[in-house]
Amino acid sequence: MKKKLISAVLCGVMAASMLAGCGDIETASEPASDSSDSAAVADDAASAASGDSADADAAGSASSEAAPTAVTTAGDPNGTHMEMWSFVEAHNNFYAKMLDQWNKENPDRTLEITFTTYPYGDMHQKLLMSLQTGEGAPDLCDVEMGQVPNIYEGLDTWLYPLDDAMAPYKADMLASRLDAYKGSDGKQYGAPFHVGATVMYWNMAELEKYGITKDDVDAVTTWDDYTALGKKYVAARGEDGKFFTSVDTGGTDWMWLAMAEYGEDWTGGFDGTANVQLDSVKKMLTMQQGWLKDKVAEVSPDGHVDLEAGYQNILDHNIVSFPKALWYMSRFINYMPEEKGNWYITKCPVFEAGQKCSVGIGGTGTVVTQQSKDAKLAADFLCFAKMSPEGEQSIWNDLGFDVCNTSLWTDDKFAHDKTNQYNAFFQDYPYDVLASIKDQIGTVMTVKISPTINEQMCTTTLNEVLEDGTSVDDALKEAQDAVELEE
Amino acid sequence: MKAKKFLYSQKTAPYIFALPFILSFIIFWIYPLISAFVMSFQDIGAISVKFVGFKNYGKLLKDTVFHTAILNSFEYMLFTCLLLIPFPMLYAVLMDGNLVKAKGLWKALLYLPALTSVVISGTLFRLMFSEYRTGQMNVLMVMLGLPAIKWLKSKVTSEIALLMLCCWRWTGVNTLYFMSGLKAIDKSLYESAEIDGASGWQRFKFITIPLIKPTTIYVLTISVYAGLSMFLESFMLWAGNSSPKNIGLTIVGYLYKRGIEKDDMGYACCVGVVLLIIALIINFIQLALNGTFKKEDR
Amino acid sequence: MSEKNSPEMKKGMRVKHGIGSFFATLWFALISAVIIFPVFSGFLASFRPGRELIRRGLSINLDFKTMSLYNYKYLFTPNADSAKYWMWFKNSMVLTLVSVILTLLICYFIAYGLTMYEFPLKNFLFFLVIATMMVPFEILLLPLYKEMTQLKLMDTLAGVILPGLCGASTIFFFHQYMLSLPKELLDAGRIDGANEYYISVRIMMPIVKPAFSAMAILCAMGAWNNMLWPLMIFRSASKFTLTIGLNTLLTPYGNNYDVLIAGSMLAILPIFVVFLLFQRYIIDGMTAGAVKG
Repeated sequence: MKKKLISAVLCGVMAASMLAGCGDIETASEPASDSSDSAAVADDAASAASGDSADADAAGSASSEAAPTAVTTAGDPNGTHMEMWSFVEAHNNFYAKMLDQWNKENPDRTLEITFTTYPYGDMHQKLLMSLQTGEGAPDLCDVEMGQVPNIYEGLDTWLYPLDDAMAPYKADMLASRLDAYKGSDGKQYGAPFHVGATVMYWNMAELEKYGITKDDVDAVTTWDDYTALGKKYVAARGEDGKFFTSVDTGGTDWMWLAMAEYGEDWTGGFDGTANVQLDSVKKMLTMQQGWLKDKVAEVSPDGHVDLEAGYQNILDHNIVSFPKALWYMSRFINYMPEEKGNWYITKCPVFEAGQKCSVGIGGTGTVVTQQSKDAKLAADFLCFAKMSPEGEQSIWNDLGFDVCNTSLWTDDKFAHDKTNQYNAFFQDYPYDVLASIKDQIGTVMTVKISPTINEQMCTTTLNEVLEDGTSVDDALKEAQDAVELEE
Repeated sequence: MKAKKFLYSQKTAPYIFALPFILSFIIFWIYPLISAFVMSFQDIGAISVKFVGFKNYGKLLKDTVFHTAILNSFEYMLFTCLLLIPFPMLYAVLMDGNLVKAKGLWKALLYLPALTSVVISGTLFRLMFSEYRTGQMNVLMVMLGLPAIKWLKSKVTSEIALLMLCCWRWTGVNTLYFMSGLKAIDKSLYESAEIDGASGWQRFKFITIPLIKPTTIYVLTISVYAGLSMFLESFMLWAGNSSPKNIGLTIVGYLYKRGIEKDDMGYACCVGVVLLIIALIINFIQLALNGTFKKEDR
Repeated sequence: MSEKNSPEMKKGMRVKHGIGSFFATLWFALISAVIIFPVFSGFLASFRPGRELIRRGLSINLDFKTMSLYNYKYLFTPNADSAKYWMWFKNSMVLTLVSVILTLLICYFIAYGLTMYEFPLKNFLFFLVIATMMVPFEILLLPLYKEMTQLKLMDTLAGVILPGLCGASTIFFFHQYMLSLPKELLDAGRIDGANEYYISVRIMMPIVKPAFSAMAILCAMGAWNNMLWPLMIFRSASKFTLTIGLNTLLTPYGNNYDVLIAGSMLAILPIFVVFLLFQRYIIDGMTAGAVKG
């Protein structure tokens, strides 16, 4: 009896879902075409990797035929075998693609690589453990910026320096970005994907409805201009819940931008001592408190714009401008496709004329471990994949990252390619903005104390200042005390 | 023949039964336990390891973030014990009787959350308690004519969210424990009590409660530890280990933060040892009071 | 006594029982509704493009226009994602099945030894069982990893299963369950000439069936959802379990909700089947007759 009831309910639910499925065939096919590049890339890579892609039967019963397509070992079976880990599948697909090119160009030094995609946090934990115990590390591994201090701790006993392998490409690479991946001994341990340059995103379509033109936006050079424009917009709109921008309690991007503008760094670098009571940080926080008071800004729902609620907020046009790294472009493509054509990218405002106006944020540094069978070969392949013009092309097209090779920024074929989905999405060319700020991209170091500062800011300080209205000086004093306790 | 006799004797049998545990303890526990304990007295760098005596423990005493974590974990443990023992027990008793209709369905539904992977249930709850207006809890608040709330940004509301997530996940499981515990009770006891005119409440109080005590002790013991060592729920709810002003930070969360995020295994082990000691003390007091270690007199 | 059996009284009790039954059932319907809500909204979300989750959050509106079977179709058609999904699925099934069967058997016998006999080391061993339950696993991770490398158990199923085989909480539960059972049965068996092992298997095991089913469900759930340790042990992506795999879909660079939500909903099914199979035994359970033997 009970069982009947359960099965009846299950059947009902099934039936309802079937009906739902028939509801609209058009939407059914829509996500297939643009369910982001990652799925498409995955298909390519897998078929390239294993030769035959589709043995798996439609029933999909956990059959053994399905297995070969899922394991990604790519490259030349007779080459040197290596292992590579990442926490983003699309990265591995990219490396697999580059591997084929490498093998074509270097028939005497071919490689076969087994790619493994791990969950984000756990991959770093596993890598760290394998480095500490000296056993089980892969040859190559992606390392997220925030985890760099931990992984770099062992310097060249753990990791293989990339300086030599990088030399052929170094001239064109943005130096400030390479610096971010150097160890405390000055050696280069990580190869970057992107600059992660912070720029200003503007919802022009929405702004124009309230009489703010591109010229107005282009005229913004200082934060005072920005504030004035914000007040103008909010007044013109005069609607509850609609703001000019949102400030973050769960991320430090705004603070990084302010520090880069003044050339300050709260970590103090490798040798200095940490100091969060910086003028730049104080100015930024004070300005943000003013915005909140004047209803020019709101606090980002759930803490920052790079979370579900943040995307919703943007889609609902509750905010019309915000500074974020260029890699945020992929969020538009993946989560906000209907915003196509609405958004405009410019450089960020500065506090005082003549300051730097951007900062590189986030990123994935890829490392070669000393446990590798042939670290030199691994390093050569890595630098080829991530720094050669072919590699950079693929990084831009497939992953949507702002590449570090500055010579490409002004290359018309590369930067103004209309078939590139990012170029097509925005009102202006991202690389035009990037090229215009080439010498104005600052760096904030990521060192041992960074996680502590970051955490103190995101859990306590920013919440106190922006949510509770605590005075900036008091909150920063408290943060400084907490940070000093750790040093 | 002698060997066989030895193996089959009543004196040897318990050791043979317990052998897998003894082996597993020797192989998989002794070394890691001792080295974790040793690490708690060390400062573990990338290359060098040095003994620092009680320095880690001394730092722990002054570490206000750790104190917050302890307080949060205790609070959570207390509430979960209050919510996740009496109610599941009551549900199990109701399920065991013939008062409730369609029992199989309710049981299956109660248990469904525990089957849902944490990855997805965490995401679902995070979206439900989102401070944005599409978060379902805020939709509900608006429907009730109340203002939307930033659920995960203040202590009280986030505690509510956390407890809801916890009750949602574990009520079914605890009910299951009690239900199987109830099966060990001789049904004829109830029948004779009923004939003697005992009311439902009296039967519950004088038969069910005492006879289900071993199960209750079990649930209490694991709830104490599970409460103190909660981490995943908080991690999922805040999409990471950082919550505003550490309102969601737990002891294990802090351990994780130190050991994994900041790669300070020595300090992390020290946190772990303190948690172990706290959990052991509470549970052994509780078990001793409940008479678990007494020699049975029969 | 006579009053109690009068027809009016009986009728009154039936009415009272009816009302009680109604409210008790209503109560369970209510809490079930609350409990099912998040799962249900996840279920609905699995019929929408992953992007909808971002656009509207979890919505329980049955807006059929935005719903389709696309996500499920995607999982059931041959492509790189679905191939991986089913591989994870299979691995999880194998891991869960093997570890549940072994854990249950081993833990039952350990608990049997610790409950049914009086012997000098009894309390000490029981103390160890409880103590191992209280150790936060995170601090054992690094040394255990080292040990497993030395034992050459890395990347093997054995490496994942063995350390957790003597699950303290499972032993403890069997122990507590058997405490409430009468020991006369053992003596009866001994008088009949049965040896200790025969008694534990043939006499005791059937009576402990409800505990077995409860633990089967619990252990299955634990093994199915376990992530940290399998992840540390497995190196080959071809051995990854569903929990590890689904977690790779959540990255700091954006989440693949299409596969994630539908995949997670589908992953509930096998465990749910285990539950339905075993909960029957909890319902059947031990009858008074069984104890009296």
